[in-house]
Amino acid sequence: MFRFQRSLPAVRTGIHALRQLYRKVLGEITKDARGLQLMRDWLSPDQRAQFDDSGTFEVVGCHSGKRYRIYRGTAQNVFEIDEAGELKLGLCFTPYGNLVAGDAMLAQKIALETDESGALAIANRFLPRGRTNAHG
Amino acid sequence: MAIQIVMDHTGDTRHHFNPEDVQALAKAEERFKKLTGLGFTAAVRTASGEVSKVQSFDPNAEETVFFPRLVGG
Repeated sequence: MFRFQRSLPAVRTGIHALRQLYRKVLGEITKDARGLQLMRDWLSPDQRAQFDDSGTFEVVGCHSGKRYRIYRGTAQNVFEIDEAGELKLGLCFTPYGNLVAGDAMLAQKIALETDESGALAIANRFLPRGRTNAHG
Repeated sequence: MAIQIVMDHTGDTRHHFNPEDVQALAKAEERFKKLTGLGFTAAVRTASGEVSKVQSFDPNAEETVFFPRLVGG
């Protein structure tokens, strides 16, 4: 009995910590899911179908007509692709701040579709090593 | 109801307003100016899914999304 009474504060602390962890994890899941839902809502019907099928979608640059594939992520997730759909060049640009993947992907899509030159002027280039053409 | 969606570290913050309410509309316009002044990009979409960037407040826009300025990674 004595041992149980002594351990009660520790148990309460443990429960409190567990609750905080649960809220934090739930919050992360919620904001991540909300970001993806917002992005999905703003995709064109074709892009939405691509994303649902492969976890990626393609956009066409408003100035050059070049095609880009956007993968799930917040950085190093945008690639120029060739006519065969092969990755040509990686482009790294993302909205400032710690945004969730869905938000970053939507911002990248809007940037390429409405101000491609501006996005390319900011983007750092990288070779698409290690990234396969397999979607997702 | 119209909505302004501002991307941020919490996912996003949503501001609903009645475009027929003069005060609410003025507040939405003020928010638009403040955010774009801070470097946010504002975009709207059409029913067909086409997206366009907007430079000035559109009182008829049903949904406007704002994202922070882009940076190279």
